[in-house]
Amino acid sequence: MNARQPVTLLIAALGGEGGGVLAEWLVDLATRAGHPAQATSIPGVAQRTGATTYYVEIHPQSFAELGGRTPVLSLAPVPGCVDLMVASELLEAVRAIQSGFVSTERTRLLTSTHRTLTTFEKMALGDGRFDDERLLEVAAANCRQLAAFDVDATAREAGTAPSAVLLGAIAASSVLPFERAAFEAVIRASGRGVEASLRGFALAFERCAAALGAPPAPGFPAEPDLVEIGYARVVEFQDAAYGELYRQRVERLRAAERQCDPQGRHGGALVREGARFLALWMAFDDVIRVADLKSRAARFARVRADAGARPGDLLRIADHLKPGLAELAGLLPPAIANHLLTLETRRQRDGKAPLAIPLKLRADGLAGFFGLRLLAALRPLRRLGRRYAAEQALIERWLATVESAAARDWQAALELALCARLIKGYGATNERARNNLRHILEHLAAAKPETIRAARDAALADEGGVAFDKALTAAGAPPRPVPPIPVRWHARRSA
Amino acid sequence: MEVSFSKEVQQLRQGAGETFHGEGILAITKALLQSGVAYVGGYQGAPVSHLLDVMVQAGDTMAELGVHVEACSNEASAAAMLGASIHYPLRGAVTWKSVVGTNVAADALSNLASPGVTGGALIVVGEDYGEGASVIQERTHAFAMKSSLLLLDPRPQLPNMVRMVEQGFALSEACNTPAILQLRVRACHVRGSFECRDNVSPAVSRKALMDDPARFDYEKLAHPPATFRQEKLKFEQRLPAARRFIVEHALNEIFPGRRDDVGLIVQGGLHNTLVRALQQFGLADAFGDAEFPILALNVSYPLVPEQIRDFCAGKRAVLVVEEGQPEFIEQEIATALRRLDQGNTGTAIHGKDLLQMAGEYTVEVIAQGLLRFLARHAANVSVAGAQDWLAANAARRKNVASQLAAPLPPRPPQFCTGCPERPVFSALKLAQQNVGPVHIAADIGCHAFATFEPFGFGHTILGYGMSLASRAGVSPMLKRRALAVMGDGGFWHNGLLTGVESALFNDDDAVLLIMKNGYTSATGTQDIISTPDEEEKAGAPDKRLSLVDRNQTIERTLAGIGVAWLRTVPSYEVNAMRRTLEEAFTTDYAGLKVIIAEGECQLERQRRVKPWLAGLLKAGKRVVRVRYGVDGDVCSGDHSCIRLSGCPTLTLADSGDPLKVDPVATVIDGCVGCGLCGENAHAATLCPSFYRAEIVTNPGVGERALDALRRGVIGLFQKP
Repeated sequence: MNARQPVTLLIAALGGEGGGVLAEWLVDLATRAGHPAQATSIPGVAQRTGATTYYVEIHPQSFAELGGRTPVLSLAPVPGCVDLMVASELLEAVRAIQSGFVSTERTRLLTSTHRTLTTFEKMALGDGRFDDERLLEVAAANCRQLAAFDVDATAREAGTAPSAVLLGAIAASSVLPFERAAFEAVIRASGRGVEASLRGFALAFERCAAALGAPPAPGFPAEPDLVEIGYARVVEFQDAAYGELYRQRVERLRAAERQCDPQGRHGGALVREGARFLALWMAFDDVIRVADLKSRAARFARVRADAGARPGDLLRIADHLKPGLAELAGLLPPAIANHLLTLETRRQRDGKAPLAIPLKLRADGLAGFFGLRLLAALRPLRRLGRRYAAEQALIERWLATVESAAARDWQAALELALCARLIKGYGATNERARNNLRHILEHLAAAKPETIRAARDAALADEGGVAFDKALTAAGAPPRPVPPIPVRWHARRSA
Repeated sequence: MEVSFSKEVQQLRQGAGETFHGEGILAITKALLQSGVAYVGGYQGAPVSHLLDVMVQAGDTMAELGVHVEACSNEASAAAMLGASIHYPLRGAVTWKSVVGTNVAADALSNLASPGVTGGALIVVGEDYGEGASVIQERTHAFAMKSSLLLLDPRPQLPNMVRMVEQGFALSEACNTPAILQLRVRACHVRGSFECRDNVSPAVSRKALMDDPARFDYEKLAHPPATFRQEKLKFEQRLPAARRFIVEHALNEIFPGRRDDVGLIVQGGLHNTLVRALQQFGLADAFGDAEFPILALNVSYPLVPEQIRDFCAGKRAVLVVEEGQPEFIEQEIATALRRLDQGNTGTAIHGKDLLQMAGEYTVEVIAQGLLRFLARHAANVSVAGAQDWLAANAARRKNVASQLAAPLPPRPPQFCTGCPERPVFSALKLAQQNVGPVHIAADIGCHAFATFEPFGFGHTILGYGMSLASRAGVSPMLKRRALAVMGDGGFWHNGLLTGVESALFNDDDAVLLIMKNGYTSATGTQDIISTPDEEEKAGAPDKRLSLVDRNQTIERTLAGIGVAWLRTVPSYEVNAMRRTLEEAFTTDYAGLKVIIAEGECQLERQRRVKPWLAGLLKAGKRVVRVRYGVDGDVCSGDHSCIRLSGCPTLTLADSGDPLKVDPVATVIDGCVGCGLCGENAHAATLCPSFYRAEIVTNPGVGERALDALRRGVIGLFQKP
């Protein structure tokens, strides 16, 4: 570092994380040590949890050494000319890297390993999250030295804000010509939440020091035996006999895969993935299943932990349930159920709202709890219900389609098997998913693997199914029939 | 108010010998007091909100000095306030966000500039341009030129910014012309220090009142025939006086260079950036000593032709570094030189021909312009270093983009956790599923975040409080009704008149949705006329409750002006809001329909709640905390709940189930238990994953016993 050029720090943070406080601390730090310093920011509306940056310049010579000369400090960071890049969130670190601020020659990078997901990532119907591993790789590959640790967890552990934690990391990086004590003095002088801030500072100081130059190695968990897990799931869902049905179906998948991949070149991926989604599908979420899950002791304990209830605190759990007629009819024998459903469809065609019972059910209250257990106890009757029959029919259809595809091409069979991933959600969402799958099985059973994959991804692209229909037409298949939705709108008479 | 300035308020009292440390905009505030300002007004808006906020909080200091502080209802009323300086020897300052605020103030500004001022009038504008800006990208410079106002663009170093405020008043008085002090976003938020001087209590003030009003003087009216003379005065007397003052007091700074054959003219506000750009070429040191002479225009309008000529004398070429379009300064310089030297000037003038026309002038942008300039007029200067640096930047970006393979998801601002406006848009999304899509006229304010995902609502934004007016031409042409969304901030800023009054007067068939959160939240939760009283807040037994219903000013105003269809709905009641919206869109009532979404700004509520709860816990009192959650094993990973909310604390986590590949929804720390998750689960029949957890700390003996009993019984029948 040139002794006559300012030390430059760029801080990437989310609005409301205390980046402003951090910048203020750094300026105070330099000022107390008698060095010229300047910080700028562009909060604006970004202070509402948007991505923003704070920029600090500190001149390495003290006022005394400068003898009256005042350096001209820049208000904005310069690409490639940042000495220390600090990020409270991994994606924001990489955003700064992509903007060109971080250089492999000059910039040390302190970043949190944790992700605050963006709305875009969260909205996806499937998994829209940006690949963490890749973010970390890019971070490691594009700076002079990397120190990555979980700033968010450290802050929560110390019961303080990310700002104090980041200050500790900055101190540990020793990019600034100041002693640790000087940093801590600034926190003390700030006067608010000092103890917690110092705790966070100390934790971060050691974690950052440890992390310097040693990017966290991505762990590779061993692939568990999905067939066994699936079997257990299905038995727990219904009974041993149902488990046997699961095993039989898996065997059919195995036979199919053997047929198109005798040497097992693909390591049994078709069976593994097929078994995965088959189990999730066979253990479909109906009222009985949900009631069972919601009334378990493990669940009560989990809620207690998630809610951060301390020993001695009382916990009340109110479940927001709204079983619709469709869900309830699903438990009834097809004959009766279908009758009810036709009535319901007629009602809705007349523009009436779907029949559903909004419940705020106290799962920890006696009435609520026993209500749930009562529903869960209906399990043996499930086999008689309409939903059960419908699911089995579609599962068989899917399985058969996979089998026939396996006769010609392993890849096609796999892509079709993976389409079972579309089956998710409750009520209308679940209905939409089933229709999408049915449509693929109907029209793309003989299509090329990439076509099937494209359609599957498209089905998970947007709720309205715009991308899905586009993919279908591209594949030469008909778009889905437009479902009749009664739209009540008021036409204004033209003058 | 969002920020507390207790520390800064103390600094405003500092006197000679003390050093001020802090934000640029607060240094400006201190400088106003050092200049003997008598009255201050303005309208909040980034990046200048803090000027007014700190003055409002510094009531005592202002009272001691006799300074009057007015939180104006909009920029027009702030600009009109400067009328006090037309007749009276009063120094006045107003502030707002530009260019938008200046647009709103334009009428009053013209009528102020024409008669001119006796007391110094300073308009501090935050030039919201470039990175971090939230408004249309235009220059305030044009207003200064068209109304012959002075435009100060200080070199962004606190001592110089302070000097420009002090000199600005003197300059304004020397030429009877109001002055605009323009500060870019980063200059407003720059943290630095300067040596204070004592505050000056104005000769005429709230403490030293004038006995009589000024005598009638038609010449001081912006009214014909006076206006014709006033226009002549501008260029015959005022601007010449301004130019004399600028030169005599060396307001513009000339930094000598080591060579004199080429020079640089730069807006004061860009000086630091220019110096940093020169450093990339090795043409300047850390202290700004440069190879070429630099003329820094702390006053960018009017220019002083003679000063320009002298600077250019003997130079082969000059580069004008001027941000934004069009290139007013460059044109003025070219004209000045041509007139003065009858066109014989040997100096080539460059600017926007070598520098980019639009957008912020970053170090990189200026360096690229310098590169072209030097290649043409200083070929003997080595530019290799800068070229390598620029090339490396480009290569780095390209390289990283390819490593990432996919573009990074953007992270725009969004509604805060527990914001009362989010549920309204959830309801609007659901309502449109039943009544079909509607035209949505959006507005300025937090609710504009609904234009981002997951909502993507809003066809147009025509300005602050303009939404209802902006659909006046749409509704008559559309079979379905149009919706105008407006905040209470926009309503009082001008929505009441431009929108409501006009719609009523024309019997428009319109739907107006007013977000009544009680503050101008987007600008930092400043109070407005419909903000709940401090007494209400102090008196509320449960500090968690929304209190905006305690102030009925908006409702009474609407009733008074003649709104016949008015519904008030608590904003968190998604189903009720959905039904009300559907009714408004489909009712036979053909007039203006107004829905008030009532829910206090969550930021303000939390400012009350946090200390209150902490106090109760400290005292060992019973406290009930509400938090929502998701059962991961019930969630199927479809995320429709998120597409209906977008709350920062409703996010995703790995399912923890080896079978489930898709992440499941989860509620993280920070949930304030606003209730939207539960409301949406019911209103949209989402899924049974959501639960509401109530954590009772320091419970009573009775409930503890009851709870133990209950858990005992349940334990007997519970599955592990």
